[in-house]
Amino acid sequence: MTKTKEVISPKKVAFPRYAEYNAPIRYLLENGVGVKCVLPPRLTHRSLEIGAKYSPDFVCTPFKILLGNMIEAIEAGADTLVMVYGLCKLGYYGELQEQILRDLGFDFDFVNLTEYNTGKIKDLFKAAKYLNPKAKFRKVVKALLEAVKMAEYIDAVTAEYYKSCGFETEKGSYKKAFETFIADMYAANTKDEIELAYTKVKQAFAGIPTDKPVQPLRVGIVGEFYTAMDQFSNFDVELKLAEMGVEIHRWMNVSNMFIHYPGEKNLNVRVKEYCTYQMGPTSTANIRSAKEYAEQRFDGVIHIKSANCTPEIDVMPVLQNISADYKVPVLYLTYDAQTSDVGLMTRLEAFYDMISMRKKVMH
Amino acid sequence: MKQAYLGIDVGSISTKGVIIDDGNNILSSEYIWTEGAPIDAVKRLVGLLEKQFDKREYKIVSTGTTGSARKLVGAILGATMVKNEITAHAVGTTAFYPDVRTILEIGGQDSKIILVENGVAVDYAMNTLCAAGTGAFLSSQAKRLGIEIEDIGDIALRSEHPASIAARCTVFAESDLVHKIQMGYQKEDIIAGVCNAVVANYLNNVGKGKRIVSPVVFQGGVSKNRGVVAAFEKALGCKVTVDPNGHLMGAIGAAILAKNSSIRKDFDFAVEDMDFRIREAACGKCSNNCEIICVYRDGKLIDSWGNRCERGSVNIP
Amino acid sequence: MSPTTIGIPRGMLYYRYEALWRTFFSELGANIVVSEPTTHRIAEEGMSVTIDEACLSVKVFFGHVNNLLGRCDYIFVPRISSFGRNRELCPRFTAMYDVAKNMFRNSGQKFLTCNVDVPAGDNEKKAFLSLGQALGCSAKSTIKAYKKAKKEEQRAYSDKLQKQKRLLEQDGLKILIAGHDYLVEDAYIGKPITDFLKKNGAVPLSAGIADRDAALNRSTEMSPTCKWQLNREIIGGIAMYRDKIDGIIFLSAFPCGPDAMVNELVLRRVDCLPMLNLVLDGQNGTAGTETRLESFLDIIRFKRGLL
Repeated sequence: MTKTKEVISPKKVAFPRYAEYNAPIRYLLENGVGVKCVLPPRLTHRSLEIGAKYSPDFVCTPFKILLGNMIEAIEAGADTLVMVYGLCKLGYYGELQEQILRDLGFDFDFVNLTEYNTGKIKDLFKAAKYLNPKAKFRKVVKALLEAVKMAEYIDAVTAEYYKSCGFETEKGSYKKAFETFIADMYAANTKDEIELAYTKVKQAFAGIPTDKPVQPLRVGIVGEFYTAMDQFSNFDVELKLAEMGVEIHRWMNVSNMFIHYPGEKNLNVRVKEYCTYQMGPTSTANIRSAKEYAEQRFDGVIHIKSANCTPEIDVMPVLQNISADYKVPVLYLTYDAQTSDVGLMTRLEAFYDMISMRKKVMH
Repeated sequence: MKQAYLGIDVGSISTKGVIIDDGNNILSSEYIWTEGAPIDAVKRLVGLLEKQFDKREYKIVSTGTTGSARKLVGAILGATMVKNEITAHAVGTTAFYPDVRTILEIGGQDSKIILVENGVAVDYAMNTLCAAGTGAFLSSQAKRLGIEIEDIGDIALRSEHPASIAARCTVFAESDLVHKIQMGYQKEDIIAGVCNAVVANYLNNVGKGKRIVSPVVFQGGVSKNRGVVAAFEKALGCKVTVDPNGHLMGAIGAAILAKNSSIRKDFDFAVEDMDFRIREAACGKCSNNCEIICVYRDGKLIDSWGNRCERGSVNIP
Repeated sequence: MSPTTIGIPRGMLYYRYEALWRTFFSELGANIVVSEPTTHRIAEEGMSVTIDEACLSVKVFFGHVNNLLGRCDYIFVPRISSFGRNRELCPRFTAMYDVAKNMFRNSGQKFLTCNVDVPAGDNEKKAFLSLGQALGCSAKSTIKAYKKAKKEEQRAYSDKLQKQKRLLEQDGLKILIAGHDYLVEDAYIGKPITDFLKKNGAVPLSAGIADRDAALNRSTEMSPTCKWQLNREIIGGIAMYRDKIDGIIFLSAFPCGPDAMVNELVLRRVDCLPMLNLVLDGQNGTAGTETRLESFLDIIRFKRGLL
């Protein structure tokens, strides 16, 4: 647990993969804090396999994936790992992950933001200072604001992508434009580059010919903060369903949750027939989203979580009631290390058949 | 010549097939064990169906496949419709029971519940994480007790004081079962306990939060077990119907779906004599290392799948 | 007007707050019904009404709620979220009231709650004032009842500490049980384990029974960023008792998230003491558990040359 204080060479810092948010994290580290950022390899089955091997059994799946990816980051040349703080078990991930990695004999520096989090931005800045003693507060803040903007763009583009890609006339057009945009985000080093890439992808999307029915099937996605957003973790369930010809909506993402969130009180008024209090870190937002999808007569809702995700398990009785009240089918998907593509496809195809047959009967 | 439709359901344990006419009447049907070799099973099955089938009067104009090997078998048979087993079961059952509200299904490794309103599936669920309470669980417990799976139902019905068996997980259940045997419980009480455990597990996992409304139809391999049927009736407090053709519902559903689609392609019984090979290739283009399945007919590649991304796609000549 | 009857489920935080809740409600003139100690039936009912993936303790808790349906005017399910920074409760306790209302919404049963969420400005006193208000009592009598209840709570806790102190002086292998009180003290789940230990000549102690402030302070020795109050009390207790005991049994409910993580860390960080990690899933096969406990005691005795 000892950390060397004097920094001679610039650190090679890595943060494990989390959807496409590593792009803004890289931006902040390299352009704000001023350290070299090592991007860990993209998540694959190996990340989960090695993570699961060294994790306690009933810890939630994201812990295992992140642990596996930390090992891959070290293999890729990182000497410093950063772990965020957060609500629920996430706030405790860092300490246990560090211990497991140390016990495995890895040599690395670990910056656990939970240790720096006192509620004051000044104390969080200490973490930046630790990574680079020459870090300037104003520069970090400026890069942070730009990184946040980048995250907002990523979320907006992702939403547009899954909403529309099921109706493109030439298969793969949306995916191609989306991937180009994501690559641009990972390469961007200035505010202008971020803006330019965003404008470019908007134009590209607008130019893709689509053939969309007047009343397409619409499915709303709700669920856990990691698994619902991370393509690898959820086997890109959104793309799979979209490609069957479904418009996908997902409110839950980093910028909606942290920037556009209208605040608990406000949301609670909107879901007060279902819950009096905030039931968990993202519970109210998920309940609100599910209720809105139901009110807007969506054809179905999918609830995504990893195995052993306590707050999302607690949301399920509420979703069951929303499902009964609005007669909207809810598909519950739980992901663990044993989840297979085949099993998921069977459930998704059946869900698609069900909602499309229902729609035909209802119209 | 009249038109007929073939439906085949290949599960992990058994392989089922039917041929139906325009009025959904069964012209031929067969049920055999998969024995871990779906291709051989299907070839055998097609041969058995052919024997019952009147080729002078009927012609098979479309083919549907379902079950866990639906894709493979679909490729082999040149199916016009490949559907997941949940949809196939719902379609098959509602064709015979238009009023049905709840379909319970317990198969070899999967169990599911389908809720139906006005002849259309409106909600369904499948077992999430574990295989406890499925057919595989029942047959492994039967083996442990040294009795034939076919006899379980009748033995269970003889029990007056069913033992209470832990059901949440196969591992726990097995150790509990061993414990009960050591304590000298009657065999029929243990068997009845296992049947109750299957039902309790099903209702706690698959059926949780679902409003089970009568009429209830129960199918899948386990529905042949009278002990489980009785346990369901007791737990639900209503009659549970088991159709004599319940095990065929998936196949019937696949046939009906093939009939309802507009695609037509005459089926050729010659497949029984063709040679099919599957080769698994590790993609190796990234660390996902996807297993790509390639299907060859008489040495020629006819289909492939299993790749997570385009890097692993194989060109079909 | 007949007095209000309040049902209290004998599960989860009941074991922590029994004296506080009982005194408070009876001081306000309410009748109290507490569900009976957990039985096989209550546990089974809990499993059948609760989401399959929830942890055993939650299932048992809702078995108790189910047991009280229709037997009282209100069932009391508080929402207790956080006592402050790094003093949170598992999200389970945050959600409990709303989960209960959603699970049993067709039963017609009314629920009574109060909210403790210190970072959001809702402390315990405020919570109890709102409870008094909900029951139609004056602020004055509510405060009086609360004060008396706090005193009772203190007294009951020092009794527990005294009892533990006496146990420490007893002969026999001292086994510290590191687990939540609602698990360790539950008649159906934890009690068979402590009973078995006693029968086999060991003295079971509870890590969670220790001076709370001291335990909170010392928990950071074991795990500096641990954020859950209940786990901090337990691991702080381990730090306080570790020199006075012969072994530790970690007792957790399947699949308790905080326990899975915290126990894993402590298992990796404490050495030189024999430790056993027991995960209970409430199934009625105790044979395996007993074998494991027996061999654990044998190992300790063997090491000590007592076997």
